[in-house]
Amino acid sequence: MSVLEVRDLTIRFGGLTAVDGLNLSVDEWEIVGLMGPNGAGKTTAFNCITGFYKPTEGHVFYRDRDVTKLPPHRKAALGLGRTFQNVGMVKSETALENLLTAQHTHTGYNAVKGLTGAGTVRQREKDLVAHAEAILDLLGLADIRDRRIGALPYGTLKLLELGCALATDPDVLLLDEPSSGMGPDESHELGDRLLNLRQELGVTMLLIEHHVPLVTAVCDYVYVLNFGKLLAEGDPEAIRNHPEVIAAYLGGEAPDALAETELPHDQEELAEVTHS
Amino acid sequence: MAAETHVLAPVTATRKLDWSRLWPRIAAAVPLALLAVLLPAHSDTFGHVGAYAAIFVMVGLSMNVLTGYTGQISLGHQAFVGLGALTAANVVSTGITPADPFTFGIGIVCAAAASGAAALLLGAVALRIRGLYLALVTLVFGSVFADAIFTLPSLNGQDAGVSAYRPTVFATEYRYYLFALAMVLLCVYVDVWVRRTKLGRGLVALRENELVASAYGVNVLGYKLLGFTVSGAMAGLAGGVFAFWEQEFSDKDFTSVAGFNLAITFVVMVVVGGLANRGGVIGAAIFFALVSPISPVLQALANHTGWGTFYGNNKFYISNVIGATLLLQTVVMNPGGLGQVIRPFARWFRGHKFTLHDPDGDAGAGALEGSSVRA
Repeated sequence: MSVLEVRDLTIRFGGLTAVDGLNLSVDEWEIVGLMGPNGAGKTTAFNCITGFYKPTEGHVFYRDRDVTKLPPHRKAALGLGRTFQNVGMVKSETALENLLTAQHTHTGYNAVKGLTGAGTVRQREKDLVAHAEAILDLLGLADIRDRRIGALPYGTLKLLELGCALATDPDVLLLDEPSSGMGPDESHELGDRLLNLRQELGVTMLLIEHHVPLVTAVCDYVYVLNFGKLLAEGDPEAIRNHPEVIAAYLGGEAPDALAETELPHDQEELAEVTHS
Repeated sequence: MAAETHVLAPVTATRKLDWSRLWPRIAAAVPLALLAVLLPAHSDTFGHVGAYAAIFVMVGLSMNVLTGYTGQISLGHQAFVGLGALTAANVVSTGITPADPFTFGIGIVCAAAASGAAALLLGAVALRIRGLYLALVTLVFGSVFADAIFTLPSLNGQDAGVSAYRPTVFATEYRYYLFALAMVLLCVYVDVWVRRTKLGRGLVALRENELVASAYGVNVLGYKLLGFTVSGAMAGLAGGVFAFWEQEFSDKDFTSVAGFNLAITFVVMVVVGGLANRGGVIGAAIFFALVSPISPVLQALANHTGWGTFYGNNKFYISNVIGATLLLQTVVMNPGGLGQVIRPFARWFRGHKFTLHDPDGDAGAGALEGSSVRA
């Protein structure tokens, strides 16, 4: 059974079709990569899946349930955790407070009951703190527990954001460029970490990633987007040597693929839209 | 299914009492508590002024929930206070005899409920707009709401002013002050638990980034409404206490120019106090409450220096002048407000070492950045 399935997903902004008939599926326990050059529509697809954008056409299924129209917070509560391309956390708060905020749907009391400061609320708050500390330990971030995150380095922030996404207790984790801002060593470490997380927590993942060694190391399956359309799919090794993918990334022309691809046409269309 | 992944088992945390961390709290809290309880006992005037300060503190805390945590601005808060006052007075509505304590209690509760509901209404409008437009909508809401409803003769005592006599238990100024203080403590308690639990965390998250908040599972629209409602209920409570404060008030305290003056004072109060900073807001609220009672002192001072007539003619604007000056000083030089100034003491109060250097970076400035006050 696929945990997450996207069927014919299309979203248009005015005349621009940002994602065009995307089909993808993520199975239980899989780590699936979503690649593509800048502007290919990867993040837009993410935003459609997580409910931040309403797709023009198509459906998103989560465990065979149509969740296309659910608002983002409902999807988060269902178990679709996500991170953001430019680090999405509450900047004025500390690392611990962010992890507590991320456990929003698992507090076990409602917002109004919280105001009474009842004994059960106090106990639950202590549990939440303990859980947050466990996540900090898991990621080796225990020493930044009480630091305000505004001043932390980018790599640490990306890692902490992963922790926050974990704190939402996700079933499927959608990671938007988790290795951006990291060096080769750090992203290698991140790869190991993602594999460990799947091992320990059983989280299924869909990640947008450019870093090819990382994709090859962790992904079971890769989808490549270009100009909103699915360009190729397959296992990482096949994708690496796929001529159209190489062409899309390097901007060159893959001789044997050129006949089929509509790339130049799409480019013109895009240029028209951006200039108008 | 999501629950299956909950491998990190919740550990039950325990914390021992630590006297070395506790004594600063005692050392600071005991004198403050004594001051708050004993000083207004000095005379009827002190009690009267003290109760007025208590009302301002409640409004300050109410604004703190809305502007400090939720990041929404309200230039119409006088309407919620006024609605609370009118509701309480009309529910109790005894004419000339003292209210019985039970009806009095009902009146106070109704005040909070009515203003909470009105704030929910404003919140529903405010969901779609932000920044300057929100400020304008709340401004218009405040004045139109006040001018339309408060001027109904059946509500405002046939335009002759509303009387709201206290129950005999709270007949003396000092006793009424103690009642107001208890209501302040109630608001502080709620504020503390707003900040400590999911409501406050959700509000702060949506203040800074609605996308992130919803990715965390926070229902942004619902929580904004909740923020408005809690804030409105606190303002209504303040209004209820205000109704019985002088036992006689006019709807004109909350309409047109006087009402607008109040609304501005409330906003200035929470910014000067420091957004999202409880201690700072309480301090600033007390300060602004004391501006008009000390007016006679200023008058005497002005008389002495030969500015008596000038001051007498313009004393209506004195709180505006002070407010504007402090607001400028805060926004330009001290974005965290009074809360930023007292932060070293607040840290010490919480049991940390006393140091002027802020080890965690500055949160006050961040709070201001995130709120629509900047927009």
